Amino acid sequence: MKTRRPVAATLAVAGYVIMIVPILFVVTTAFSSGSTLRFPPEGFSLRWFEAAVTYDPFMESLVSSLELALGATALALLLGVPATLAIHRGKLPGRGFVEGLFLSPLIVPELVVGLALYQQLMIGLGLNNVAALLVGHTALMLPYAVRVTGASLALADPAVEEAARGLGASPLRAFRTVTLPMLRPGIFSAALLGFVTSFNNVPLSLLLQDREFRTLPVTMLDYVQQSYNPRIAAMATLILAGTVMIAVIAERTVGFAKIFGGINR
Amino acid sequence: MSTAAAEFAGVTQRFGDFTAVDAIDLAIPEGRLTTLLGPSGCGKTTSLRMLAGYNTPTSGTIRIHGVDSTRLPPEKRGLGMVFQSYALFPHLTVADNVGYGLKLRRIPAAERARRVQETLGLVGLAHLAGSRPKNLSGGQQQRVALARAIAIRPRLLLLDEPLSNLDARLRVQMRTEIRRIQSETGLTVVLVTHDQDEALEMSDLIVLMRGGRIMQQGAPREVFSRPANRFVADFLGYENFLADAAGSLLTVRPEHLSLGAPAADGLGLEATVVSTAYRGVDLLVTLDAVDGSGAEVRLQADVRAGDAAELAPGTRTTVSAAPEHLVQLADSGKE
Repeated sequence: MKTRRPVAATLAVAGYVIMIVPILFVVTTAFSSGSTLRFPPEGFSLRWFEAAVTYDPFMESLVSSLELALGATALALLLGVPATLAIHRGKLPGRGFVEGLFLSPLIVPELVVGLALYQQLMIGLGLNNVAALLVGHTALMLPYAVRVTGASLALADPAVEEAARGLGASPLRAFRTVTLPMLRPGIFSAALLGFVTSFNNVPLSLLLQDREFRTLPVTMLDYVQQSYNPRIAAMATLILAGTVMIAVIAERTVGFAKIFGGINR
Repeated sequence: MSTAAAEFAGVTQRFGDFTAVDAIDLAIPEGRLTTLLGPSGCGKTTSLRMLAGYNTPTSGTIRIHGVDSTRLPPEKRGLGMVFQSYALFPHLTVADNVGYGLKLRRIPAAERARRVQETLGLVGLAHLAGSRPKNLSGGQQQRVALARAIAIRPRLLLLDEPLSNLDARLRVQMRTEIRRIQSETGLTVVLVTHDQDEALEMSDLIVLMRGGRIMQQGAPREVFSRPANRFVADFLGYENFLADAAGSLLTVRPEHLSLGAPAADGLGLEATVVSTAYRGVDLLVTLDAVDGSGAEVRLQADVRAGDAAELAPGTRTTVSAAPEHLVQLADSGKE
């Protein structure tokens, strides 16, 4: 295959290889019939998948992860969408600053966030770690709620809302029946991105875990340090399958590229 | 005499230091098509938006059917507006777009469906009721926007540059369409445009604006044959501006200038031909002359090609016009 940019093409292929090969290792070892995480694996078996789904710590923490991700997504959207509207449509003084504030969790180190939450919420206010985790994860997802929805809003014609009002809709009614439906793809994209971010999060979840409530990535980290067998590979493969399913849903409904471009057409 | 559907009294709109609309008084006649005409930035769209309720005047009053509506929010004014971008609801079908206002007024489903069909029939789009806006052409989208505004039986129909996004052929077609719809429904229409052909063809009343002020208003024939000032004359395509002996500014249309024959009264000047442009039926002749005040002026005459045989550049001839074709302009129309 002739290409005009052989160097760039080589680098791109190398990039893909570096990203995909480790994942391939994990997935293939999950199907091993042996008891070690060796590559190439010995034999073919599904027993480690059965071992993974019957292992209570994995399953309990999976539920915790899902609860946390769903809760944080809901809160982030409830806060983030109105914030986006205020930033882009309202006459807020210092709009740029407010937007920066909502985007700042992207650059603040998570361990610092975790420590601050621990100090102020858990020790200071006596809240339990679940509340602290919820607050922390919501903060982490706010940038997605604001930026992705914002991109959606910027592309929507403001005259559409005016048209709705001219036809007799109150501002709230116009928002509900016209603006919100137009923002749906943007909100859905923000929700998906946020959900995945929360689910995969390690630093914050690690700092604020306790025996009662622990997320799946943290449990898996713990497991790997104690037992080194294909059960972990199986669990990782299951998570990968879930992620791929979400990506497929995203592609079918909104368009995967649009989510990361934040563009709503 | 028609009564006023809406009135502007001393209406001003200021944005910081910039005055978009400067204390205008205007009466919009009931059941007629009124056009706000002018170049960009003249305040015509701002005036329309104040009438619709999207902008609140800095000072002055707006009355709709005699009621002070200056601070009334748009949803309470009962007006229909067509935006330049059409602003159709992308997530709804054509029928749902047109029925949106009816649904808000709690009109029962059967009656709503009937009125939607009727209105779509009026604009010739009954067959596209189930389509989505993104699948329609520009002209079709515009007609849906029109139907949506008309369906609610508005007190006034407001159109903000409705034809500027259409290609030339469609534009001409839609001018007749809108005029027809207006006379069939008897709606009071206020239209904003920068296109003088549109205004002349469609309007009962033309209001010429510039710099936030009204420069002249009147029926198309009146405004066109008797522009009040230089800005209006210029905007309507008048070419020749000259001063008479008393210093008054005059203008005359190119087709009203005669060459070679001295006029009894009215205009009579010695002129030199600069160039000619042959256009088949007529001939455009550019001439240099000295007007009544002694200033050098360049004139454009539009004569029948058959009448003007010997007009090589440099030829000396006389330019004349009958007194009824000379329009005296009140002032330069400059600020």
